[in-house]
Amino acid sequence: MIEIKNLSKIFKLNKKQMAELKTKDPVKTAVDDLSLTAKKGEIYGLLGPNGAGKTTTLRCIATIIKPTKGEIYVNGHEVQKEPEAVRTSIGFLTSDIKLDEQFDVDYMFQFFGRLHNVPKDVLNRRKEELFTYFGIKEFAHKQIKELSTGMKQKAAIAVSLAHNPDIVIFDEPTNGLDIITARSVTDYLKKLKDEGKLIIVSTHIMSEAEKLCDRIGIIVDGRKIAEGTLGELLHETGAEDLEDAFFELYRNRKEEA
Amino acid sequence: MNGIKQIFKKELDRVFKDKKMIFSVFLLPVLIMVVIMSIVGNLASNMEDDIENHTSIVYIQNEPESFAEFQRQATAKYSLKFIESAEDRKKAENDILNGKADLIIEFPESFDAQVADYEEGDTIPQIKTYYNPSEDYSNSAFRNISGTTLEEYRQMLLAQRMGNLEQIVVFEVNSDNDNMIIQDDKKASGKAVGMMLPYFITILLFAGAMGIGSDMIAGEKERGTMASLLVSPIKRSSIVLGKVFSLMAISGLSSLVYVIVMVVCMPLMMKSMAPGSGSDLNLQLSVSQIVMLGALLVAIAFLYSTIIALLSVFAKSTKEANTYIMPVYMLVLIIGLITMFTTGEANNINFFIPIYNNALAFQGILSQDITVMQYVVTLIETLALGGILTAIVVKAFETEKVMAK
Repeated sequence: MIEIKNLSKIFKLNKKQMAELKTKDPVKTAVDDLSLTAKKGEIYGLLGPNGAGKTTTLRCIATIIKPTKGEIYVNGHEVQKEPEAVRTSIGFLTSDIKLDEQFDVDYMFQFFGRLHNVPKDVLNRRKEELFTYFGIKEFAHKQIKELSTGMKQKAAIAVSLAHNPDIVIFDEPTNGLDIITARSVTDYLKKLKDEGKLIIVSTHIMSEAEKLCDRIGIIVDGRKIAEGTLGELLHETGAEDLEDAFFELYRNRKEEA
Repeated sequence: MNGIKQIFKKELDRVFKDKKMIFSVFLLPVLIMVVIMSIVGNLASNMEDDIENHTSIVYIQNEPESFAEFQRQATAKYSLKFIESAEDRKKAENDILNGKADLIIEFPESFDAQVADYEEGDTIPQIKTYYNPSEDYSNSAFRNISGTTLEEYRQMLLAQRMGNLEQIVVFEVNSDNDNMIIQDDKKASGKAVGMMLPYFITILLFAGAMGIGSDMIAGEKERGTMASLLVSPIKRSSIVLGKVFSLMAISGLSSLVYVIVMVVCMPLMMKSMAPGSGSDLNLQLSVSQIVMLGALLVAIAFLYSTIIALLSVFAKSTKEANTYIMPVYMLVLIIGLITMFTTGEANNINFFIPIYNNALAFQGILSQDITVMQYVVTLIETLALGGILTAIVVKAFETEKVMAK
C-alpha cells in the first residue's frame, strides 16, 4: 500500500532556471499538499499535463528526492526514515533512469537481481519468465547501446521487475513505444495487478488511463484536483470520456487559479 | 556488504570485460611511455656516439715542430688544417662560426724557441684556442683538445725540460685507489630509485584513476544510469565505497603494470641517457620495506580515488569533472617534482602536509631514512583524509541537489 499524506515538494531555482521558466520567483512548488492512497491489487493512474508534478511525486515515493513537507508510507515504511526498506519493495521505472549502455541486458538483469539479494535460482526463473514475455531473449546478449528504443524500454522494464516487487511504479511506461510493444507492457501491468500487486503509473495518454487504471488521480499544477474510478470521474463532470472530463476539471482549476 | 561487493564487481567488469578498455587503461599508457623513453634514449645515445665518432676539424696557426712531432705519436687523430695567412685565419673563424670546423689552436710565433730559451722572469708562452660553444662538435673538440691533448703536450715538453718528471709531481691524487667510494650500495641505489619512483607512482596512481573515476561517477550521472543504482535497496555509502574501492583497484593495478614495465625496461631506456645508472641499479627491498611501501601505496590509492570521486560527484558531466580534476592532477605533478629535486633531510613537519608527505615517505622508505613516527603520521593522515573525503562523497550522494537531475 502507498499512502501519501500532504506531500509538498518545493525546488529552489538558480538564476539560470529562473530565466528558463521566465519567473522571478526563486522557488517552484512542484507538488502542493498532495494526499492519496493506493491499495494492493489496483492500478492507480496519475494523470496530468507535462509539468503537473506526476514524476516529482513518483520520485519522492522512490526515495530519489526528499519531500519538503508531508509523509509517504510504502508498505508501512516511511520514505525518509527507512529509504532502503522502501526501495526493497518497489520496482521503479522512469525515462531518466537508464541502464548502463556498455553491458548487455542479461548482465544488467543479473546485477540488479543481486543488488536486491534475489537467490540465484529464483533470479534465473524470473529472467526466463520476463525475457520470454517481453521477447528479450533474442537480444539478451547485445550491449544496451546497440538496442532500439523499444528494446531498451523492454529491457528496462524487465530489469526493474527482476526482484518481483510488491509495488510497481512506472512513469509513463509506454512513452516512445510502438503500439504493439505498448500493448504488451499494459497487458503485463494488468497481469501484475491480477497477481495482487499495486501498480502506480503516470501518464498523459487519456486512452491508456481509461483502459488501464482502476482509479485515476488528476494532477494539475502540483495539486490533486480529482480522484476516482473512470465512472466516478465521468459522473462528477458529466462528460462522455476521460478526455472531456479532464478538460472540464482542468478548466475549472484554471478559473479558480 | 553485498552492495559494496556488487558495485565493486560491476565497475571492474566494466573495465575487464571490454578489450578496448583494457588496452586503453593498462597497455596504451605503458606502451606510449616505453616508446617515448626508448626513442629519447636512442636519440640521445646516437647523438653521443656521433659526437664521439666525429673527427674534429682543427685549424692550427704557427704550428711548432714539437707539436707536429707530438701529433705523430698521439693516438687521438684530428683533421688538421693550417693557417698560413690573415685570410686563412678569417676563413677559419668563419668555419668555426658556421660549424664547419671545430677548433683553432693558435701558437705564438717561434713557440719552440720560446720554450727552449725560457729563463726565469720571461713571459710564459701562451697557446690560445678558439671554439663555438653552441656547436656540439666544437664543444667536444674544445674539451678534448684544450683539456686533455694540450695538457699531455705540456707534460711532454716538461719532461724534455726537466729530464725526470717525478721530481716535480710531488704527489698524485687517487691514481691507484680503487676503493675510494665508501657507501652503502643498497642505500645509494635506493636513493636513485627513490628519486624517480615516488614521482612516477604518485602520478601514475592519480592518472590511472582519473579517467575512469570521472566516468564512474559524473559519467553515470550524466548518462542517467546512476539513478538506477539510487533506486536499488543498497545504502548510498555502499555505492560510494564500491566505486572508490574499484577505482583504487584499477588505479593500483595500472600503476603496478607501469612499475613492472619500468623496472624491466629501465636498463634499456636509461642505457644511453645516463650510462650505467639503469643497469647498475641494485634495488633490493627488505620485507619490512615492502610491507611499508605496500601499505602506503594502498593508502595513497585510497586518497586519490576519494579525491577524484569527490570532484566527480559535484560535476554534472564527465567533461565538467575532468576540468575539476585537471588542476589537482597538476598539483600532484608539481608536488612529485618538488620531492624529486629536494635534497637533505626532510623536516618532521613536512610529513604533516598531505600528498607531499606521501612522496616524502616513499623516498624515505627506499633510502631507509624515514623514522617510524614519520611513516605512521603519513599513513594515518592519508587514510584519515581519504575517510573524511569518502564521508563527504556519501553525504553528497544523499543530497538530491547533487544527485538528482
